[in-house]
Amino acid sequence: MSDIAAAGVRPAWRGSLSAGAGAARGAPDARRLLQLVLAGIWLLDGILQYQGFMYTKGFSDMLAGTASGNPGVIARPITWDATLVQHHLVLLNSVFATIQLLLGLGIAWRPTVRPALAASVAWSLGVWWFGEGLGMVLTGDINLVSGAPGAVILYALLAVLLWPSDRGSPAPFAAARAVGAPAARALWLVLWLSLAYFALLPSSRAPQGLHDMLAGMEDGEPGWVAGLARGGAAVVAHQGLAASIVLAIALVIIAVGVYLPPPALRATLVLALVVAAVIWAFGEAFGEIMAGGATDPNSAPLLALLALCYWPARTAVAAAVLPAAGEGAIAS
Amino acid sequence: MTPSWLLDIFAAIMLVVAAVSAARLVAAPAWRVGRGAALADIDVAHLLMAIAMAGMLATSLQTLPNGAWEVVFAVMTAWFGYRVVRDAQLSGFRALAGGHCAPHLIHAASMLYMFAALDMPVAHGSGGMAGMGGMGGSMGTLEYPTLAFVFTLLLIGYSTWDLDQLSGPGAGGHYSLATRPTPAPVLAGVAAAGAAGAEAASAGAAGPDASGPDGADPVPPAVGSGPADGQGRGVLAPWVAISCRIAMGVTMAFMLVIMI
Repeated sequence: MSDIAAAGVRPAWRGSLSAGAGAARGAPDARRLLQLVLAGIWLLDGILQYQGFMYTKGFSDMLAGTASGNPGVIARPITWDATLVQHHLVLLNSVFATIQLLLGLGIAWRPTVRPALAASVAWSLGVWWFGEGLGMVLTGDINLVSGAPGAVILYALLAVLLWPSDRGSPAPFAAARAVGAPAARALWLVLWLSLAYFALLPSSRAPQGLHDMLAGMEDGEPGWVAGLARGGAAVVAHQGLAASIVLAIALVIIAVGVYLPPPALRATLVLALVVAAVIWAFGEAFGEIMAGGATDPNSAPLLALLALCYWPARTAVAAAVLPAAGEGAIAS
Repeated sequence: MTPSWLLDIFAAIMLVVAAVSAARLVAAPAWRVGRGAALADIDVAHLLMAIAMAGMLATSLQTLPNGAWEVVFAVMTAWFGYRVVRDAQLSGFRALAGGHCAPHLIHAASMLYMFAALDMPVAHGSGGMAGMGGMGGSMGTLEYPTLAFVFTLLLIGYSTWDLDQLSGPGAGGHYSLATRPTPAPVLAGVAAAGAAGAEAASAGAAGPDASGPDGADPVPPAVGSGPADGQGRGVLAPWVAISCRIAMGVTMAFMLVIMI
C-alpha cells in the first residue's frame, strides 16, 4: 500500500508535528516542514543582508564591535575580518547576502537539502565567530533576552538535528531522527541549561539591567513595538534579580523537560514556545527588523523552531499511553 | 544604500518573468479555448506585477503612474480575494495553506501596499514613479513597517513552500504541486484522473471551479501534472508559472525589506 493510500482520509495538505508521519505527496513530513521553516529564516537573513545599512561603514563597525571583550585569539581575527569587510564592503556584503539567500533556497529545494544544510553549518560557525564574537559568551557581557548565545549558532544546531537521515528505530521526536534520542536530548539539555546560566550572569541580574535593555529597544520601532518594550521595561524596573531568577527557573524546567514522558514534555515545550515568544516580542523587538538594519530575526524564533523539533511524535505518545500491543498496531 | 546594480539584477529577473508570462498568455489560447479563460488571470497577474516591480527597481523601466498601479493592484487584490473565498468555500482554510490563489492574493496585496505606503513625497503628485524608481540612489521608505514585515514573512513562507513542492517527488519527477487540498486517496488517483486535472494544471493554477471527472470533488489541478498530461509543455508547463511566482515572491520580499 502506498504512503498516500495508507494516509487514509487525512487531508494530504496537512503536515503533522509527528516525526515520521505519513509523507503523502505534496505533504512534507514533520521534519521537512521544520526544514522549510529553517529555509525561510535563512532566506529572510539573506534578504536582510541586502539592506542599505549593510552597505555602510556601520556594518563593518558592527562586526568590529564584537571583538570587544573577547580574548585576543578570538578578537584578532574578528578585527581583521571587519577591516577586510570595510575595504571591500559592497563586494563582500553582496557575497554574504547571496550565500545566505542560496542557503535558504538550497534547503527548500529538495535535491540540494543535504549540501545546503552542511554548508549552513559551516557558514553559521564562521558567522558566529567573525560576525557575533562567539555570541559574546566569553565576555560575560551576555544576556539571553537580547539574543544570547547568538542566533547563528542555533542555525547550525538546527541543521544538525534536521539532517535528512534516519537511524532506523522510530524516533520519539523529529530532532532525534538524525542524531538519535540520547544525543538530541543532551544537546537540548546543554543549550537550555546554558541559557539558564546566562540568565543569572551579573549583567542580567543587575537591578536595572533588564529594564535598561528593554527600554533601549524602542528606538526606530513602530509605536506598538516600542510600547511593548516600554511596558516590559516598566514591569522589570528594579526587578532585575527577581526576573532573572524566574527566567532561570523556567529555563531549567524546559531543559529537563526533554527527559519527561510525552505529556509533560509537551507542557515544557509549550513553556519554551511561550518564553521564546515573550523574548522575541519584549526583549528582541521582533529582531528589530521593523526598525531597519537587522541582520536576522534574532534567537527567539530559532528557539521556538528548536522546541518544535522536540515535539513528541505520535508513536512516542502511543508508546507512553498504550500497552505494547497497541503500540505495534499504531506504528504499523 | 543598496547598490543600484543589485537592484538592476532584480529588475532584470522581473523582466524575464514578464516576458515568460507574456509568452504564456500568447501561447495559451490554443489549448485554453473552452477550458476556463479565468486561468489566464495568474499569468496576467505575473505580467503586471513583474512590470511594476521592474519599474520600482530601475528608474528607466518605469511605466505607469503610482496611482494607476494602485488601482491595478487594488482590483487584482479584490479578484484574488474573491477566488480565495471561493476556494475556502470548497476546501475550508486549506485553501489558504495549499491553494493556488492565496499566494497570488498575498502578492497582489503586497504590491498594493508598496505603492500605497511608499513614503516618498516626490513620487506623490508627480506624473510618474520618479520617486519610487531609483531606490538605490534615493531609498524610499514604507509607512506601516509592521505590514511590510508581515508581508515579507508571508512571501518567504509561500516561496519556500513552492520550492519544496516544485522539487518534490511528483509524477512528473520535477514538480508535484499540491495546489488543492484534497483527501489523500483522491490524491493517489490523480494521475489516473488525467486530463480533467490537467486542464487546470496546465496553467499551473487551480481554478475555483475545477472539479473531478464526476464533478463531485475538486481535483487538485496541478498535482502530478506534467508533460505526460499532453498539455502544459514548454513555457506552459506548470513549473514555469511556479518558478515565476517564486522569483516574484523573493524579489517582492527583498523590496519590502530594503524599503522598511
